[in-house]
Formats: sequence, structure tokens, C-alpha cells
Amino acid sequence: MIRLHQVSKRFGDSEAVKPVSLTVKQGEIYGVIGASGAGKSTLLRLMNVLEMPDQGRVEVNGQDLTSLKGRKLRDARKSIGMIFQHFNLVANKTVYDNIAVSLQLAGYPGKERRKRVIECLQFVGLESYISKYPAQLSGGQKQRVAIARALANHPDVLLCDEPTSSLDPNTTAEVLRVLEDINKRLGVTIVIVSHQMGVIKSLCNTVTVMADGGIYETISQKPAGVRDVDHNPQYFVDQLVQDGETGP
Amino acid sequence: MMPEILLQYEAEIWRSIGETFIMVGVAILAAILVGLPVGTLLYLCRKGHLLENKAVFSTVNLLVNTIRSFPFLLLVVFLIPFTRLIIGTAIGTAAATVPMAIIAIAHYSRLVEQSLLDVPKGIIEAAVSMGASVREVVFRFLYVESRSGLVLGLTTSTISFVSYSTIMGVVGGGGIGDFAIRYGYQQFQTELMMYMIVVMVILVQFIQFTGTTVSRMIDKR
Repeated sequence: MIRLHQVSKRFGDSEAVKPVSLTVKQGEIYGVIGASGAGKSTLLRLMNVLEMPDQGRVEVNGQDLTSLKGRKLRDARKSIGMIFQHFNLVANKTVYDNIAVSLQLAGYPGKERRKRVIECLQFVGLESYISKYPAQLSGGQKQRVAIARALANHPDVLLCDEPTSSLDPNTTAEVLRVLEDINKRLGVTIVIVSHQMGVIKSLCNTVTVMADGGIYETISQKPAGVRDVDHNPQYFVDQLVQDGETGP
Repeated sequence: MMPEILLQYEAEIWRSIGETFIMVGVAILAAILVGLPVGTLLYLCRKGHLLENKAVFSTVNLLVNTIRSFPFLLLVVFLIPFTRLIIGTAIGTAAATVPMAIIAIAHYSRLVEQSLLDVPKGIIEAAVSMGASVREVVFRFLYVESRSGLVLGLTTSTISFVSYSTIMGVVGGGGIGDFAIRYGYQQFQTELMMYMIVVMVILVQFIQFTGTTVSRMIDKR
């Protein structure tokens, strides 16, 4: 589904991504983990050429994105969804308009737009929030709207850049479950970049560990599934005491 | 009741208010029709932005700075040949709208650029990742997200235009400021001058109130 051939990217003097090759298979959830500054976000942004690689080729769905320009590149991006750590919703647009804009850009027929927006909102469980503004939503809800926006145009691939890094454990689980659902029910290939081990372990079939802009190792695993988070205060106490030591 | 001195000059006062409205109105139009695109161009051509272009940015930036560094009175005088070329005369309210329009474009374009810079870069990134063209990014994302700043900027600009309009008397542009100086100051009718100042204060208050209210109404952030 996604193939990177020896892609590299420099920013000034620093080599953000050293020549890297990898393959993301159709229908899998692919994780990229590493310390901050390891180049994982840049690697993700190379996949929809939000960052144009200095060298190498990026192939998505059999199309060489690095050779595309202008309109053709924009059209190719319309079948690659993307979500971000800080959601990047337009604060002055309602939930409806935030999702509808992606359909407008794709030239989706006007009459069917509303139906599709509602469909996507139902998928992420937020249909009753259709006329709210992002400022009225919690972080987890904002990310789910962003997911609905990314899904609206029936993408083949969903790129997730630290999708839960600014969320608390409860809402993290809620977002991860939606991502899992998208992969299982809609068959969308997902790439997740995260520094949170729990996120990577719970969802990914294949995981690449990055260090210093290169691939350190790639391993296959069985995803652990999204764990429920207990709201009970005793849960937090148990977590604190779990390692056997409490402070004075 | 109206003070006698105002009744005495009623016709002139109304005419001068009309002249101010024409000059400021043309300035606002120029700000929106040309200043907004120029400010957007400045933003887009900046380093790290969608149409990064050092040559275009530096040229437009220098032009805007140069116009804004002129003392306005000198800009009016400096532009006389240009005004004559466009309007056919350098004297009168119509002629006065030319320097007003020029300063309006330079003034507002800078404020537009600042407002657009306040839009989080992530939103632009999201737009590009959705396959938006530069035009679509500007109209469907940038202007939507920065609209309250754009309105506040236009409010600030408009108040500056009112101030600029007061010296257009030098080229016979008329206006409230010119009336206050000629009838009030130069003919020692201090009372009349004070009334004209009150008119200006009310005008500016009204502009600011309207701008602030509108900007608050459309801000959902």
C-alpha cells in the first residue's frame, strides 16, 4: 500500500530522515515509535509528501507521489487521510463544516454531502455534536471529529501523527478504539506515529523503531487490543502502588 | 437644541462630513479590494509558507514599508503627479482619494499579514493534506480562521483613515478636519473647532464599537 524507497530528508544541517526504505501492507496497522527527534513525524509526513523528500521515491497505492505535481498531487492526497496531535480543526467552523470542507475540496456532490458528514459522525459517535464548534468539545471529541474529517472522502490510508499524545488515558482509549474500528470495519490501512508504547502495542501489527533518523528495527507483533481505563479512583491508587513502593 | 454656531454653518458641516465619508469610504474599499490580497501575498510569500518567494516578498515588503514611512502630508504632495495622471486633477475630494487609497492599501496589508500569521500552521497543514490548492487554503481555511483579526485590523485601519483624512485640506479634499482647521482654528472660532472634534470622537467611537462587536460575534475560537 505504501512503499518508501530510500527516502531521505534534511532540514538545514540536520538529517531528519536518513535514506529509509519500508513497506506498509494493505489493511495493516503500522506503528512507528522512537524518541522525540528520531525523525518519526518527518517520516510520516513524507508518506503524503507534505514534506517532499530530498531523495528517494514515495509510492502510495501504486502511485509514485514524488513524481506528481500540482493538481495530480492534490488529487492523490485526497485519498490519504491524516490526523494530527493538535487536531488542527478550523475553530471558526462548526463540526459539520469542518468535515464538509474535505468533501467540498474533493468535489463531492452537494446533495450527498450532508448525508456523508452524518455517516462519518455516526462512525465516531458524535452525530449529536454536528452544529457545535471545536471550542465546545473535549480533546478526545476534537480528535474524533478530525478522524471523521479524514474519513469523509473514503481514504485508502490514514496517517496518524501522535494522535493521542495530547489526550488523557480515558480519551486515548476512546480514540484508539475508533482507529481500531476504522481498520477492521472499513479496511483502511493505518500508519501511527507515537512515542507512547501503550498505543503502539495495543493496535499495531508491524512496528518500526526509529533512532537518529534511521530504522533501528522492524518487528511484527500481535496487537494487544485497546484496554479499558477504569474511572474508579482506586484504579489510580493501584497504578501508583503497583511498583511496590509508596513515598513517605 | 442645536447651538447657533452649528446652525449657522449647517450646510458646510454636512458637506464636510460627506467629504470625510467619501475619502474614508474609498480608503476602506481600497483596503479590502487591494490591501487584503497584498497582505495575503506577503503572508504566502514569507519564508516557510505556501508560496515562499524571497524576491516577491522583499519587493512588496519594501514597498509597503516605504509608503508607510512617508509622513502622510509628504506622501500626498509626492503623489500629486500620479493623482493628476489618474483623476485628471490634483485638487478636490476625488483627487484626495488617491493618496488615501495608497496609504490604505499599505496600512491594511500589513495588518492582514499579521492576522494571517496568527493562524496556527497546523490548520494550513491539515488543509494541504486534504488536497487543498493555495486558493482553497486561503478562502476556505485562512480567511475563515483569521476573520475576527481581519475585522479588528480593518477597524484600526479605518480609524487611521479618519485621521489621515483630516489633512486632505492641503489638496482641497475638504472633510471634517479641514473644516475644523479653516473655520474653527484659522478664524478663531474655538467653539466650532471643539464641536468638530466632538464629531470626530463620536465617529471614531462608533467605528471602534462596531468593529469590536462584529469581531466578537464571528469569533468562535
